[in-house]
Amino acid sequence: MAVGITQQTVPTSSQQDDAVIVVDQVSKKFCRDLRRSLFYGIQDIAADLGGWRRKSEFLRQDEFWALQNVSFRLHRGEALGLVGTNGAGKSTLLRIISGLIKPDTGCVRIRGRLAPLIALGAGFNPILTGRENIYANMSILGVSTQEIKKRFDQVVEFAEIWEAIDAPVQTYSSGMAARLGFACAIYTEPEILLIDEVLAVGDARFKAKCYRRLYELRKKGTSFILVNHNPQAILNTCDSAIYLSQGKLVASSDAETIISQYEEDLFLNGAERYPCKLDLPPKPPEESLGLDVTSLFFRGTQSEILESLRSGQALSFCVVCQARQAFSGITLHLSISKIGGEDSVGTILYLSGDNDNIFFDMPAGSHEIQLQLPYLGLEPGAYTMKVKLKKDSIYSFDVVESFRFTVTADGKMSKCRFYQPRSWQLVSSPLQS
Amino acid sequence: MPPEIVYTPESLLKRPHLLAHLMWRDLLASRELAWRLMVRDINAQYRQAFLGIIWAFLPPIVMAAGFTLAKDANVITVSETDIPYPAYVMFSTALWQTFVEALNGPIQAVTIAKPMLARVNFPREALILAKLGEVGFNFGVKLILIVALFLWFQVPVSWMVILTPVALIHLILLGTLLGILLAPLGVLYQDVSKGLTMLTGFWLFITPVVYPIPKEGIFGLLVRLNPVTPLLVTTRELATTGVISDAGSFWLVSALTLLGLIFTWVMFRLAMPYVIERVSS
Repeated sequence: MAVGITQQTVPTSSQQDDAVIVVDQVSKKFCRDLRRSLFYGIQDIAADLGGWRRKSEFLRQDEFWALQNVSFRLHRGEALGLVGTNGAGKSTLLRIISGLIKPDTGCVRIRGRLAPLIALGAGFNPILTGRENIYANMSILGVSTQEIKKRFDQVVEFAEIWEAIDAPVQTYSSGMAARLGFACAIYTEPEILLIDEVLAVGDARFKAKCYRRLYELRKKGTSFILVNHNPQAILNTCDSAIYLSQGKLVASSDAETIISQYEEDLFLNGAERYPCKLDLPPKPPEESLGLDVTSLFFRGTQSEILESLRSGQALSFCVVCQARQAFSGITLHLSISKIGGEDSVGTILYLSGDNDNIFFDMPAGSHEIQLQLPYLGLEPGAYTMKVKLKKDSIYSFDVVESFRFTVTADGKMSKCRFYQPRSWQLVSSPLQS
Repeated sequence: MPPEIVYTPESLLKRPHLLAHLMWRDLLASRELAWRLMVRDINAQYRQAFLGIIWAFLPPIVMAAGFTLAKDANVITVSETDIPYPAYVMFSTALWQTFVEALNGPIQAVTIAKPMLARVNFPREALILAKLGEVGFNFGVKLILIVALFLWFQVPVSWMVILTPVALIHLILLGTLLGILLAPLGVLYQDVSKGLTMLTGFWLFITPVVYPIPKEGIFGLLVRLNPVTPLLVTTRELATTGVISDAGSFWLVSALTLLGLIFTWVMFRLAMPYVIERVSS
């Protein structure tokens, strides 16, 4: 752990590469108890002033590692995505890189002017006008008055607030204030940009404009680190990505690999990985309506019961039911919705025997209804399915509110919302001479 | 290649050259920002107040009226002052107020700027400089009152008045020194600002603002040990009689203030990252 506390551990490397940020074995600890945390703060200040060692590499009571031995490099002109769940240490890492707080172990080396897009509208005073606030805000971000004058028109143009520029900022809508903040920050023209989930502001059109601007900056050679919960944004903007989990760097690779790993962990990890089978206890006769669902599961092509599902797989969805007497006109409805993620609203797949005009006649006894799916079209993720067993589309016998299952990736499905069965071929015709 | 910036856990005190270099660089870099912040704060301050600059005049006038009435009714006895008593109280109160503003300035500035401090790495010196500017500006406004006062009461002024700014600046710097010393603590613990309000109340009591320096007793000793006394009294004497009663104490406190200022500046710089990591997210 003592590695990297002193300066010598990383060779000063002008010849080595063109890294603009080198993060080497950086750790940071925080304290969960406020009172104690403040006291530790005083202790640290005293140690620093006294010039004695803080022993920062050891945890004190109630402390935990918010970041632990994180190392990576950012090269000139590179865009790096930073993903991780809430509390993984993303913001802490950005704050160490921007020099706001000191690392507890390791070191950070920066080459070039760095601007954080963490603080949109830092120092905005609601009483003052937009014009005055642009000057104050950009000064805080380190732009000289002369430069601000030069860029002023561009900032206002970008924020689209010409008509409100001389009105107090407190009269602005939240979107306008956010746009102004973003415009101020982006026109500081830094060499390195740290962007912490700020692109969530404004409407879709403004967001698109922000991304366009980022793209332009990148072409000019600006490097950036982008933190975003929206994987699509990272895939569109970044070439490589790093993945933080509970303060540790768990993976570092190209953006696509990292995003798919992150998504898989996010939706499919431990607690959320559902078994793809549900057995229901038999109902007491007084609750039964005569036809009960007893179990739900999937079968593969060899009729084997599946324990996990993959996008694109051929399978059958099976409903086992118990009929206490003979029925006719039995049909099945199922609606599937996604769990978690931004698109978890509403049903994404609804299948009914009704629509397909499929009705079964059942004598008393046990039956298995099989719904054959030549390709599973769902993207990777966790799902919940509502199953209804009906008669003539009016009368419900039994309803299973939530049958949960998970779908994993087939390895070829990044950037897709659904599985498309497909085949490729090349048709050539010889040259006519 | 632009110069490389390195952040490590170790204390910058171990590399005094680098520390001095960084301090100098940031001081230069913060001038423009300090100006902006000052303009912003002064603008905001006056834009939301109906009475505007009248607020700078009111406290000394109210204080002087109260004490003059009390003195005339013999509720309090005050020995003879060099200049008419109402003028004495008003002028001294204006000086005292300036000192208190300088004292509270850094703590207020840092506390209000917490969200900004937690997110942007700008030269922290700018906050202090902006407050100093604001204190200066506010004193400038009070100067209108003081000049009017001197004319009204026909207070004689000697040529020494041109040296007054020197003493006044030392008075402001003493306040700033103490303010910077307390600022990092003040962000962490609210006790600091609460205690300070109480302390300044008592402090006013042992500073010769509404009375001349007493010569005897424990109270006289307290007043003379109070570091504000020589600075405030000398400022007042330079502006009025031109006769300095205790030049020795004045220079002693001034020298300590200037030395202490450098020490507290270093402390402030080293402490801020630790403070920021405790307050924010």
